[in-house]
Amino acid sequence: MTTIGLATIIPFLGLFALFIVLGFYGKYWRRGNLNDIHEWSLAGRKLGTTLVFFLLGADIYTAYTFVAIPSGVFAKGSLYFFAIPYVALAFGVALVTMPRLLALSKEKGYITASDFIKDKFGSKTLAVLVAITGIVSLLPYIALQIVGMQSVLIVMLSGITNSHTVQEISLLVAFVILAAFTYTSGLRGATLTAILKDILIWITVVAVIIVVPLSIGGFGTAFRDVKPSYVTVPNSLVTGYATLVLGSALALYLYPHAINGVLSSESVHKLRRSTALLPLYGIGLAIMALMGILVYAVPPAMNFLSHFPESSRGILVVPSLILYSMPPWFTGIALLGIFIGGLVPAAIMAMSQANLLTRNIIKEIRPNTSASSEIRITKISSTVFKFVALGFVFTIPATYAISLQLLGGILIIQILPAVFFGLYIKSLRKEALIPGLLVGIFSGTFMVEYTNHFGALTSSLFNIPIFGSLYIAVVALTFNLTISFGGSIIMNRKDGLALFQTKKQ
Amino acid sequence: MKTKLRYVILALLILIPSIINLLTPLYNRRLPEFFGMPFFYWFQTVWLALCSGFYLGFARLMNGGKNKEEETVNR
Repeated sequence: MTTIGLATIIPFLGLFALFIVLGFYGKYWRRGNLNDIHEWSLAGRKLGTTLVFFLLGADIYTAYTFVAIPSGVFAKGSLYFFAIPYVALAFGVALVTMPRLLALSKEKGYITASDFIKDKFGSKTLAVLVAITGIVSLLPYIALQIVGMQSVLIVMLSGITNSHTVQEISLLVAFVILAAFTYTSGLRGATLTAILKDILIWITVVAVIIVVPLSIGGFGTAFRDVKPSYVTVPNSLVTGYATLVLGSALALYLYPHAINGVLSSESVHKLRRSTALLPLYGIGLAIMALMGILVYAVPPAMNFLSHFPESSRGILVVPSLILYSMPPWFTGIALLGIFIGGLVPAAIMAMSQANLLTRNIIKEIRPNTSASSEIRITKISSTVFKFVALGFVFTIPATYAISLQLLGGILIIQILPAVFFGLYIKSLRKEALIPGLLVGIFSGTFMVEYTNHFGALTSSLFNIPIFGSLYIAVVALTFNLTISFGGSIIMNRKDGLALFQTKKQ
Repeated sequence: MKTKLRYVILALLILIPSIINLLTPLYNRRLPEFFGMPFFYWFQTVWLALCSGFYLGFARLMNGGKNKEEETVNR
């Protein structure tokens, strides 16, 4: 095992110091009253094209992309490359839905999707259900960010004694710092640190994609020795691949943190432009995913990985490939990029959970909560959510966090009929959307448990005769849509209304 | 009639990239390779940039009708 030297540790810690400074400086950047919820959670709703690009980039390209996807490619092969067409498709979905949500939010002062639902359907029950779904589905997502940070620390601390304790203390310190600056700076701190994170990640992927193939003698070397399932998707999984693309793309912009990023944008025009550019970011993701294959052609990295139990090798692929193919100083820079690549999204996610909890759950129960206690509860609960996720990671194995994230996607997609179709179709009924949402959640959870034989969650594909393997989120969403639309049609027919009576534009 | 054409173009700018992203059998092949990388991998990576092109076209066309945009929010 290699012990990392000062040449790596100095750039790592130096850049981490810069990260802290940026996080706290956020408070003074474009000064606003940070005791106002719009200022704290949405940076005053005035982020332009470039900043929204970075912020949404931080939302979307997270430890999921740096850790979970390369880990999946490493273990299962090309199936996990679904992440690439998924992000390409997701921004198309965003372009037809998000500008309208932004326009409505600016006018009506919405901060969360749940605010919109409550106003649109006049249903507290539906709004609370949407809020709970959002909070629950983000918990494993934050945990996954922490697993990503852990993977960096495991590689950096390998070879020293008590590495496990040191790793947990380091994570705790990082989270205390993160909690402190999100408390004081709100979304501004997250946006500034997102820029640093993105610059470091881009430097890393560009360097890796040049250096690694050159040092191993071209991509051909890596692809020559792998199993066929690493070259293309096996026939039995083609429908699984396509439905993973569809389901993940539909789910992405339903996550509270993605909507939070969208709503911080200054104008509908700027939002469209930055969304259109975001697929370019996916190129970095594709390079990261390829690392799951390239690593097989780098013997020292494979040797390093062999010291770890098979189940945890996947998450270490990217950091160990960097460690064994890059100079030490560069390793420090790249590893910090991945480390804060987990930290920044965790901050944004916890903020959006806190908004949902305060605005859409607590305020429903206690409607006369004052604006000043609203912001205080939001700030405190965003801190609590971070530490809940940290506790989660400390108590359960890392691989489990990745599996639970699969479940998160299946849950969050169930708010689609209310949020996406609610934006355009006037006559959807809350009485049909509520059972639709519940059936989606329960059938999705059941199918995940069933397909994994009620054991550890490793697969999110469900085999259905004729159709083949399908992503469970899509199957459960189909049930949900059938109930939501079918129920609305029946009820509207009773009342003599047409379903597709869209709003006059 | 002109607005109808505009809607058709807008729809195509989103639908063409979306359909190709979902048509896995279209790109699920090894050949032709690019510097030893199977088609499956390089096509999907390059396709990201082309998707951005389609989407920018969509954004431009939508943003062109500036005043219309503000009108749609009058509820």
